[in-house]
Amino acid sequence: MIILKNIEKYYANKGVKSYILRHVSTEIKQGEFVSIMGPSGAGKSTLLNILGMLEEPTYGEYEFMGEDVLSLNERKRIELYRNHIGFVFQAYHLIDEMTVAENIEAPLLYKKVSGAERKSRVADVLDRFNMVAKKDLFPNQLSGGQQQLVGIARALVAQPSIILADEPTGNLQSAQALQIMDLFKKLNEEEGITIIQVTHSEVNAAYGSRILHLLDGVIKEDIAVEQSV
Amino acid sequence: MFRLNLKIALRNLWKNKVYTAINIGGLAIALSAFILVAIYVRFETSFDHNVPNHENIYLLGRTLPDRKTNYTSLSLAQALKEAIPEIENVGRSKKTNFEFAFSTPDGRVYGKDVITIDYTLAKMFHIKPEGGLVKPEGEALNVYLPQEFITAMFPKKTPVFPAKVSIGPLEVKQYADVSGIVNHNVAHSNLVFDALLITADVGKNQEPTAYNYFTYIQVKPGTDMAQLQKKVAAVYKEELKKSAVTAVVNRGSVESKIANEVNLVTNTNKADQSGVFLDPLDNLHLRPIAGNNTNYKVVMALSALTVLVMVIACINFTNLTIAQTNKRAKEVGVKKVLGAYRLSLVFQFLIEILMQCLVALILAIILAEISLPLFNDAFSVSFSLWKDNYELVWQLPIVLLIITLISGIYPALILSGFRPVAVLKGNLQTSYKTLWLRNALLVTQFTVAIVFMAGLLIVSSQLKYMRTEDTGFKAGQVVYIKNIVMFGRPYFENLKARILEMPGVNSFTVASDIPDGSRPGRVDYAMEGKDLGMDIVHVDFDYFETLRLNLKDGRFFSKTYPADAENGIVLNEAAVAAYGVKNPVGKIIRGCDMDYRIVGVVKDAKMQGFETAVEPTVYAIKSDCANDKMKFMVNVDPDHMAGVLAALKSNWKDLNKMDGDDFRYEFMDELYGRLFKKQEQLQAVFYGAAILTIFIATLGLFAFSAFTITSRMKEISIRKVLGASDFNILSLLNSFFIRIVLIANLIGWPIAYIAAQRWLETFAYRIDLPILPFFIAGSISIILTLLTVSFQARNAVKTNPVDALKYE
Ligand SMILES: Nc1ncnc2c1ncn2[C@@H]1O[C@H](COP(=O)(O)OP(=O)(O)O)[C@@H](O)[C@H]1O
Ligand SMILES: [Mg+2]
Repeated sequence: MIILKNIEKYYANKGVKSYILRHVSTEIKQGEFVSIMGPSGAGKSTLLNILGMLEEPTYGEYEFMGEDVLSLNERKRIELYRNHIGFVFQAYHLIDEMTVAENIEAPLLYKKVSGAERKSRVADVLDRFNMVAKKDLFPNQLSGGQQQLVGIARALVAQPSIILADEPTGNLQSAQALQIMDLFKKLNEEEGITIIQVTHSEVNAAYGSRILHLLDGVIKEDIAVEQSV
Repeated sequence: MFRLNLKIALRNLWKNKVYTAINIGGLAIALSAFILVAIYVRFETSFDHNVPNHENIYLLGRTLPDRKTNYTSLSLAQALKEAIPEIENVGRSKKTNFEFAFSTPDGRVYGKDVITIDYTLAKMFHIKPEGGLVKPEGEALNVYLPQEFITAMFPKKTPVFPAKVSIGPLEVKQYADVSGIVNHNVAHSNLVFDALLITADVGKNQEPTAYNYFTYIQVKPGTDMAQLQKKVAAVYKEELKKSAVTAVVNRGSVESKIANEVNLVTNTNKADQSGVFLDPLDNLHLRPIAGNNTNYKVVMALSALTVLVMVIACINFTNLTIAQTNKRAKEVGVKKVLGAYRLSLVFQFLIEILMQCLVALILAIILAEISLPLFNDAFSVSFSLWKDNYELVWQLPIVLLIITLISGIYPALILSGFRPVAVLKGNLQTSYKTLWLRNALLVTQFTVAIVFMAGLLIVSSQLKYMRTEDTGFKAGQVVYIKNIVMFGRPYFENLKARILEMPGVNSFTVASDIPDGSRPGRVDYAMEGKDLGMDIVHVDFDYFETLRLNLKDGRFFSKTYPADAENGIVLNEAAVAAYGVKNPVGKIIRGCDMDYRIVGVVKDAKMQGFETAVEPTVYAIKSDCANDKMKFMVNVDPDHMAGVLAALKSNWKDLNKMDGDDFRYEFMDELYGRLFKKQEQLQAVFYGAAILTIFIATLGLFAFSAFTITSRMKEISIRKVLGASDFNILSLLNSFFIRIVLIANLIGWPIAYIAAQRWLETFAYRIDLPILPFFIAGSISIILTLLTVSFQARNAVKTNPVDALKYE
């Protein structure tokens, strides 16, 4: 599904190049659950942003579902966002002026899903996440964990093929964090959604099927997780 | 999608209701000013636009060596019509230079602007009396009066036309038949009249070379005007040659006053230098070639001003919207990763701004409706928002779109241009990119406000100067009495003696001209080999005393010297200076075919106002060339004013038997004060503009400083924790805005200085450009800034730093 070849990223500051990613090459298949780990500043977010096409690498090749991402025009990329990619953020990034239901409905509007279907899909997701009672609340009326659930619900409602999550549980207490991880695992296993998450937590990483260890922009380790459960 | 965006927009606006209110309020005020000015400009620029061929109608005028005039000879019209095929139609009008009484036993009215016009001119201007325009038979004069006149004379019921009324004093027993009612919107036409006399040929039984006709021509559509101008000039030259032979100085009739004056010039060697021009009807109201273009300047100034006020209000919008971008950034970032196109985001933000502008527009219409009476008062007009202003129906939506684009396009582009990765990483630094722009916009707002403040103060100083400065004469106790009786010594002396008997009357006189701003006639006088044109005021004894003019040298006219009434003459200082003679008193000056002896020199008096320098002027009791002396002036003690006026009113028919039935007067100081009218209008405009711009700029500052302070809350808290005092914080927050306002002052002062300088140069008598207004404008702007920013900062100063830092 994803093939990275020799991805490099650096920022030039006063003629000095500071590398953030070096020679990153890897392949991620449909249905994988990958965790990216590494110390702060290692380049994890940068790698995830490149995967999410929010940033462009300085060099290298990136193929997403058979398409060369770097030569895609803006319109095509937006099509990919609409149909294949769901983002989950550490800071949730819900739109404050929208209610829970409206936040979840938003991506469907861009996909031009009909009104009736939007309603039923939003209702479905709300039901599944046990949030029907909260659907008319605004984000600032929810706890962090609940907000992140809405964030995930929003990512899921458009039925993406891949979810990119940058420290999705970074701001949560561990009980809530585990709940989110369970959810990811379930989505991965039951619906076959590819998941790539950045995490600091060994525990969280253990939910996945594979761990990429990043250090100073270089993939140091690429290990498969033994499914203990 | 649209509904959801709408909801977000409304929630956002509601969350920031103070700023929303400021945004919308500021814009509404500016828009209401725009609406009023649009109505005014439309009115001013559409004089005679209901005349179907208005763009093909021209008024003829002549260029003389020292002035331009629209008075043309009687014969010119016919000669043009015969010689030039492109001229479709010609028509003339002739003014009556005195008031005309129309009466019936039931009521009396005075026609102040009675004009006689050719039937062809009535057709050209599409004059439509009730019952239709009919061609007058033979030499008949068809009299048409406005509805008010008819109502006044026939209060019970509208008469059957032709209706008999008496003309002039009742005793004269002169009657005329009124042919009908004419309702011509004279307030919106260049053809101004209250009573209209239509005849087949205005020139019948008139002196053919008298120059007292207005000649209008209507050309065929598509005529080459440059060519036509040449042809008209050729015909004019021919006519001049003919008239030079037959010229007669036609005296004794009131109507030919102007003719006399102009003929004198034409008949001298200066005649060859005169030319002819065509002035389009469309330009006549605003910028006639022969006349002043103050109206035009006012229209231009008002338009420019409104545009400025609108720009300032739009700037507020832009500025506040940009300032809010950080709050909206996350929404943009998220929407983009959810798959929104940039264009749809631009559209969303523009719609949001359009909604606010729409609310502002509705408020503006309400505001305009409320403030219309004030506006009507300041400009002496009577506009209504909905009458005659159908254009607004399509103009306002266009304006709405334009202001939406002006104020919205930049913020919309900035907002929609956010890269999601920057937003979502949470390290958005865009505010610095737009900071210079926001500051520049703030500077612009204050610059405009400062220019208007300084301008207002300077205009006010000049007006104050004009009201208090010595004019060289005193109009305060003088009453101007209207009169239609030609001067005759015994009749006048009898009248004068009876008026002087009244207690409180100091003096009484008669003259050809009064200090109401009008120019007297001009005649050449020669002294010591110099032949110069002089303004000639035809006066009588006690003229100088009545107006309290000041003696420079020699003496004023006096009955002790009977010769004064024959050949005495008084010069003003400007005249003496023009001849350059040392001791003029006793010298001989020659003009109008006779020798005058100079008896005195009068100090210059600003009888034409402050804009033109005092003209070289001579005053004589006997002059065959000057206009007739018919205007009475009486100087009355203020304490007796009411009594004297009452006595004059009740005895007028007896005192001045030949004048008519009513005593008609005006206070001289009010007449003279009317010369200041347009400056007072300008002052009103500046007053409005200064208040508007200051208000809107301060609103902008109010909201903008609030945003700046909120976004610096964390910094403020850290500084407090580090030990900054409240005063430290206040001065920290103020200093930035003070700097902005100082820069605005530095830019605004020179602009105001240059503009004020140019304005003052239009006055012959003016103040030295004062420095104080600049400092006052500067101080006001700084004080307002301090107050506004400190008001906003008080919350920041009071808050507990822990609250702001807790969430980090
Ligand atoms: N715009 C930028 N300019 C310069 N350096 C940057 C920029 N963005 C990120 N970096 C640097 O790149 C490095 C990797 O950042 P990031 O991918 O966010 O690390 P991680 O998510 O692993 O903590 C950091 O050292 C950061 O300072
Ligand atoms: Mg990171």
